[in-house]
Amino acid sequence: MELSWSTFLLEIFNFLVLVWILKHFLYRPVQSVIARRQQEIDARLAEAREKEEQAEQLQKDYEGRLVEWRTERQQSHEALENELRGERARREKLLVDELEQQRKKSATVDARRQGEQRRQMELQAMEQGSRFAAKLLEQGAGPETETRLVKLFLTSLAEMPEAQRIQLRQQLGDSAEEPRVQVASAHTLNADTRTAIEAALKACLGRAVACEFVEQPELIAGIRVSIGAWEMGINVRDELQGFAHLAPEPVGGES
Amino acid sequence: MNSDQLSFPVLFQIGPLQVTTTVVTTWVIMALLALVAWLVTRRLQLRPGRAQTVAEGIVTTIEEAIRAVAPNHVSQLLPYIATLWIFLVVANLCGLIPGVHSPTRDLSATAALAILVFLSVHWFGIRDQGLKAYLRHYLVPTPVLLPFHILSEITRTLALAVRLFGNIMSLEMAALLILLVAGFLAPVPILMLHVIEALVQAYIFGMLALIYIASGLQSQQIRQEARNE
Repeated sequence: MELSWSTFLLEIFNFLVLVWILKHFLYRPVQSVIARRQQEIDARLAEAREKEEQAEQLQKDYEGRLVEWRTERQQSHEALENELRGERARREKLLVDELEQQRKKSATVDARRQGEQRRQMELQAMEQGSRFAAKLLEQGAGPETETRLVKLFLTSLAEMPEAQRIQLRQQLGDSAEEPRVQVASAHTLNADTRTAIEAALKACLGRAVACEFVEQPELIAGIRVSIGAWEMGINVRDELQGFAHLAPEPVGGES
Repeated sequence: MNSDQLSFPVLFQIGPLQVTTTVVTTWVIMALLALVAWLVTRRLQLRPGRAQTVAEGIVTTIEEAIRAVAPNHVSQLLPYIATLWIFLVVANLCGLIPGVHSPTRDLSATAALAILVFLSVHWFGIRDQGLKAYLRHYLVPTPVLLPFHILSEITRTLALAVRLFGNIMSLEMAALLILLVAGFLAPVPILMLHVIEALVQAYIFGMLALIYIASGLQSQQIRQEARNE
């Protein structure tokens, strides 16, 4: 074992050369690529951090908008509720008014129906009364009753107002012929009575008339004088029918 | 064992320098490391392949080891310490190849490396702190300790050289003796021990060098901190 100075010096030189070689061909490139990778990682981390900050900012914005939206929604909801409340109140009022009108209308209809029923009942009662009176008078009435009724007719004819007389005269017209007048009676009239009737008619109408006397037992008692479209007279049948139709007018009117 | 086993033949001469097998083996190792380094680093990418991953792993591991001892001087110390480790691992292991002896089996080579460590301690210390500040640390805590400091520098350098030389030389000798005595497969356990010992000795040599250099770098810093306290 001996120390070789040549080997010693050459080994020192060799090692220093090896340090230079590895520094330039191994450490520096490897460290460079590690540094580049680290830079890229740092850049990506910075980018990720920036994106995270942006995301947080976006999240804050979104949450703010969410709060605003909730507030707007709440306000809209309240406005809608107020509007609905008003609309409900308005419709309820309309409904109440309509119900009130319907109620009044229904009350009116009920009143009319009741009035009509009452009138029908009264009319029916009067007709029954009329029929009853007619049956009673059919048995009780006779020529003497008719004579009294004819006298009553003549009296009323004599007391007829002038306006009605003018209308009767206008009804008869201005023809030269004598107008035909039909005189119906329940019993046969005697000649005096017929003459009195003709005279009363002539006095009332202001001209002579041709009377035709006919018997109509359904009149029960009394006479009926037909002059054109006019009919006048006093007899039990017409009076009873007039009594039967003397019903009251319907109550109330249509709304 | 004869003196041939401890001497290395001179293959040729370059002027006054005799080139022995130790030097030639070192050149081969250097060429091999240079070739591997060039092959690995010629196409470095951000997404590394297997070879690049291994290279990056080696470099970052050595960086971390240096950072653990001298955290402020990683980039400064990395080329020297890393080359020391890598060269010693390869040099120690090449003795496993039949017909090739390890350069670290030669005391001249280990002495050269130890002298380099000795010089590098002062080189890095003076570069970092300046000549006066660096030399002043030999006088603390008292100038009386200066001879002991100097003695320590010499002995630890000598110990570095002899420890590495002795371990590697003895391993190769033991393997050779067992091969001569016991036959073909008997030295295999010794060779496995050789692998472990080669790695351990490389680690010890490099770590001691790192500690010596770091102690030279931090002596001023430690003194400054003590003064501040």
